[in-house]
Amino acid sequence: MRKSSSGLSRALVRRETIAGYLFLLPSLFFFITFVIYPMFMCIYTSLFDSNMGKNAVDVFIGLNNYKELFQDKIFLGALRNTLVIVVVAVPTVCAFSLWVASAITDMHPALTSMFRVIFYLPVVTGSVAVTVVWKWMYNNYYGIFNYLLKGAGLIEKNINWLGDAKYALWCIIIILFTTSVGQPIVLYVSALGNVDQTLVEAAEVDGATRTQVFWKIKWAQIMPTTLYILVITTINSFQCFALIQLLTSGGPNHSTDTVMYYIYYTAFKLYRYGYGNAMGVVLMIIIAILSAIQFKLGQSSD
Amino acid sequence: MKKLFALMLALIMVFALAAPTAFADDTVEITLWTYPIGGWGNSDTVDELVAAFEATNPGIKVTVEYLAYADGDDKVNTAIEGKAAPDLIMEGPERLVANWGAKGYMVDIADLWDDADKEEILPVVAAACFNAEGQSYEYPLCMTAHCMAVNLNRFQAVGADQYLDLDSHTWTTDDFVAAVGLLAAENPNVAAVFCGGQGGDQGTRALINNLYSGTFTDAEHTKYTANSEENIKALELLVGLEGVNFDPAIVGGDEIQLFRQGILDMAFCWNIGMQLNSDNNDAGLTNDGDEIVCMAFPSDDGVPELCGGIWGFGIFDNGSEAKIDAAKTFIKYMADSAATADAVKASTYFAVRDKSDDVDLSNIYEGNDIMSEYSKLMPFLGDYYQVVPGWAEARTAWWNMLQQIGGGADVTETANAFCEYANAAAGA
Repeated sequence: MRKSSSGLSRALVRRETIAGYLFLLPSLFFFITFVIYPMFMCIYTSLFDSNMGKNAVDVFIGLNNYKELFQDKIFLGALRNTLVIVVVAVPTVCAFSLWVASAITDMHPALTSMFRVIFYLPVVTGSVAVTVVWKWMYNNYYGIFNYLLKGAGLIEKNINWLGDAKYALWCIIIILFTTSVGQPIVLYVSALGNVDQTLVEAAEVDGATRTQVFWKIKWAQIMPTTLYILVITTINSFQCFALIQLLTSGGPNHSTDTVMYYIYYTAFKLYRYGYGNAMGVVLMIIIAILSAIQFKLGQSSD
Repeated sequence: MKKLFALMLALIMVFALAAPTAFADDTVEITLWTYPIGGWGNSDTVDELVAAFEATNPGIKVTVEYLAYADGDDKVNTAIEGKAAPDLIMEGPERLVANWGAKGYMVDIADLWDDADKEEILPVVAAACFNAEGQSYEYPLCMTAHCMAVNLNRFQAVGADQYLDLDSHTWTTDDFVAAVGLLAAENPNVAAVFCGGQGGDQGTRALINNLYSGTFTDAEHTKYTANSEENIKALELLVGLEGVNFDPAIVGGDEIQLFRQGILDMAFCWNIGMQLNSDNNDAGLTNDGDEIVCMAFPSDDGVPELCGGIWGFGIFDNGSEAKIDAAKTFIKYMADSAATADAVKASTYFAVRDKSDDVDLSNIYEGNDIMSEYSKLMPFLGDYYQVVPGWAEARTAWWNMLQQIGGGADVTETANAFCEYANAAAGA
């Protein structure tokens, strides 16, 4: 019987390979059905003027949807809002999570656990419930923020937090921030706990300060976690939808539209499926490029 | 022994699988999706009606699902695209005729309209249920006139009740402006032109159209006229009126809640359903016990034209004749039989016909003071224009127009942009 270089017979290798693929098959089926196929359909439909209607015929229009996108002021506004959310939320979430994790990781285990639970609560609480509570707090007529600010004499008239274009997007970013820090904090606490203590002790023996230990030893060791958090937070920020849908519906005057919300608006309110899909493709490309850059930067600093 | 046991088990399983088929009767199962149209959004009320229907029609089983206005359209659209649309749907002509019907998803039920129906059903209602080609996508059950509401105690406290004709429930634009002036001296939030979207738009439309007798569409329902001189004048009046605030952070439901809580002195999103609501206090009272009075929208000539709400049933074309027939039976039972009085009462609205199967429907609320008082508003029911093409798109743009105007945008330019967009959607 012929043997492969690893000493296994070819028949055995074939059998193991087949078994391997068979084990992969269920997840492959779901991946193709629910990820690859919709992705292909999204790209395909984006090339058509596709609208709702039993007798509506999809007309091939090539890249016209994409051309229209970059002349659509509302889409460009939504893209700008999305980028603002990403640029503000991603660094602040990462920095805050790292700061909190560093502060609580050396505490008594019970205290560390308590803080982890506190920060993780908004993550496990339903987004609708969280949003409703925030909506009450922001309420123009009886919200606690106006009550406190007026009580402190900082404002004379109530501020319509979600109804004023000056404040609405920032209000959403604050909620996004509070619901996004839970998971990174838990991950950072875990990553900091796994830092090789012998390296830390060696550095301290050599006279390194706490700051030097953090940046020279710990930061390098938690880099994969940081990379993961950056990518996940970036994707979540790009895909910000539920908050917008529940709080402002993109208003006032499209000032809180994000690309994800505008996709929904175009497809489900205006019934323009092809155009909505073109936006989805553009969003996918942007996220893919940013994620690739983040991975590249993460690798080069390893 | 083991083999025998396995064989028996297998036989039992096969039998169990085959049993439903073997004993299947001719029962047709249909699904009804309903928006919260008064009591038709309440499962206890609907269960009773459906049970009575099923008892009369043992061959038909009806499963009901309840939609909310906030996301109901999205659910229906998703179901349509997923080939899982319900067999029956309950809503108004703006959705059934102008949207899903126009898009080809509904069954033409013109054959349900017999000569008696054409005589008994109000002509304005019947017209709204047909498209220009004579196809019908809705069989109507109930209707109401949407109005506004005022907090009478607040009006009395500042002497603004002098501007209300509490007998006819009407007032003029000048009365309205004068009343707001008095109220605003006490409360900076007299009223809110809510424009966060998601329902209640009939209130803001009727308010603006009535102030100077403007119209929302032309008489033929082919194009939007919201940028007419009268409407622009009305919008400019509202923007400049101290105490009336354009608020993009609230929707119709929020406005009702704020009014009930006593924060607002007026509500523009109101109808008999809200007047009868007794969740937090007796019907006709705010949470604090102030008296709520229904009023027609103020108009320059004192003759308001109220926006109508018409609700009935439509059938989605799911390709099964048996289901379509069953759905038609259900519609006729609910909207044109001796059971119609109960179906209408369940909605808390008024019947669209004077009689059904020889049962008089014109006085089904006899003895109910609130309904009797509200019925004074019904003669002011105006043109049912919500069947104009492009309605879904125009409705979405309407909120955005109000948001822009409230944010300080030029009224004429913004109203023109709205009409340009809406008319493009209408193909006008």
